Amino acid sequence: MASQKTEQNWDIFCAVVDNYGDIGVTWRLAKQLAVEHQINVTLWVDDLNSFQHILPQLDLKKVTQTYFGIKINQWSEPLKCCYVAGDVLIEAFACELPAQVKQQLITAKQNYDEDTIQQKPPVWLNLEYLSAESWVEGCHGLPSMQSSGLKKYFYFPGFTDKTGGLICEQQLFAQRDAWQADVSNRLSLFESLGLRGIKTSDTVVSVFSYETTSLLALCQLWQHSEQTVHALIPKGRCLNSLVELLPCSVDEVSKGSQIKLNNLVIHILPMTDQEGYDKLLWSCDFNIVRGEDSFLRAQWAAKPFIWHIYVQEDDYHLIKLDAFMQLYCNNLPPELANSWKALNLAFNQGQADATCEHWQQLNLAGLPLQQHAKQWPIDAINDVDLVSRLVQFVKNS
Amino acid sequence: MKTAHELRPGNVIMLDGSPWVVQKTETTRSGRNAAIVKLKLKHVLQDSTTESTFKGEDKMEDIILERLDCTYSYFADPMYVFMDAEYNQYDVEAENLGDAAAYIVDGMEENCQVTFYEGKAISVELPTSVVREVTYTEPSARGDTSGKVMKPATITGGGTLSVADFVKTGDMIEIDTRTNEFKKRV
Repeated sequence: MASQKTEQNWDIFCAVVDNYGDIGVTWRLAKQLAVEHQINVTLWVDDLNSFQHILPQLDLKKVTQTYFGIKINQWSEPLKCCYVAGDVLIEAFACELPAQVKQQLITAKQNYDEDTIQQKPPVWLNLEYLSAESWVEGCHGLPSMQSSGLKKYFYFPGFTDKTGGLICEQQLFAQRDAWQADVSNRLSLFESLGLRGIKTSDTVVSVFSYETTSLLALCQLWQHSEQTVHALIPKGRCLNSLVELLPCSVDEVSKGSQIKLNNLVIHILPMTDQEGYDKLLWSCDFNIVRGEDSFLRAQWAAKPFIWHIYVQEDDYHLIKLDAFMQLYCNNLPPELANSWKALNLAFNQGQADATCEHWQQLNLAGLPLQQHAKQWPIDAINDVDLVSRLVQFVKNS
Repeated sequence: MKTAHELRPGNVIMLDGSPWVVQKTETTRSGRNAAIVKLKLKHVLQDSTTESTFKGEDKMEDIILERLDCTYSYFADPMYVFMDAEYNQYDVEAENLGDAAAYIVDGMEENCQVTFYEGKAISVELPTSVVREVTYTEPSARGDTSGKVMKPATITGGGTLSVADFVKTGDMIEIDTRTNEFKKRV
């Protein structure tokens, strides 16, 4: 159920660091705020080129434009579009707000007088990265007093009811179930993406990882599998891992082309919008994903997956990976949990032999893993999605 | 100015026009190596505490108050008593020591800095590192000598921290008081 019209104005600032991750999350956030909560959203983005990959209709020359009811402003410094303080200001992933925006916040605070009908200064939030680590519960929602006198809140997405929740549109699971119930949807989608020759009995794996030798090892393994394996791979960082398998350089590979290597067919995947990517994840037997946005969407796809996590100094990413795996495997039989964890760990550590060994151990056709993948989204969402919790958080602030 | 990452228990910072004593710091890592610092703060003028979160690189004004080098003398519940070179005694509330209390032990020789606000001792800052005895830790499980495998340990005074797997009960270890991290065996 959509909430009542609020007439609120929210600004989201997004600095693109990793091509599609940051903008992917903030674009979904903006759409859900607008569609399900009727909030007027302005999304400020510093890299429209990256954004265009998931919103192809974006005009790179325009400093301001509107799609799906969301105003998209080019974030350049100094700002070409005027920032007018609204009800909420979100800095995504701790990006540094422009000085002139901060100054406006200070002015709004100084001018605000509770006794008048003046508009309150905006609620200022830092939307943080998703993590399954336990410390997130203790930091979520805490204020951050700034030396300027302003107060900012840290909003942490997470998997428990003491965190900020997970981005998930209210109709998403119903749409996914309807899609997956009709087998013809899968083949139609592959056809529409120019992915030819995929049969119902074939194994289809989507790949959106960073560079890793583990992917090369898996592809070499799949070449000699009994069944045909179709690996759907976009041009970019993951394809760079497969240079030695390709008949030409990565630059010469064109979208939609196929490279047949014994029982492995590599399909060069065209970029799709976010709705298209969701359908792709729903349609594959297994998904290899990375970062944050595709990682979460792979969970919502209710299919088994490998998470290639963003590498951090001192191998800290392995702590984050482990925290998620512990949570994900809570209700899995121990043997299966161990195989799935070992596969993810080996893939992330670039251990080629171990990745292949654990892939073979993990019985993809086995019912428990698939059943778990279907149940997990219901458990993980914890009743209330991130956007609904966020709207409530702002009301309570 | 200090960054949130540089703060440690005993520091006094100015936020929203008020002085606050840092009682506890917890540093964690968010995505892309960014540090998140959670602080437990006590208002210097009022008897109120709060928790707050910062980016590691957030800058804040640390107030330079009067400080004196002192040594720990004794505990008279709920006060820790410190003494300067001229044998003057200063009482600091146990609550104001925050995490530093775990390293205050009888007979400690390290110099601490007692901070004063309007003549009242309000906090104590420990040296950057202290040496303490491990009073209990499980024997090494894996025989690891790299220092990367960690296990829990209790030190003199009852504090706990993670130490390298090769550390044994009775060993003296150096601890970074800013992060509560094991540095080395001495």
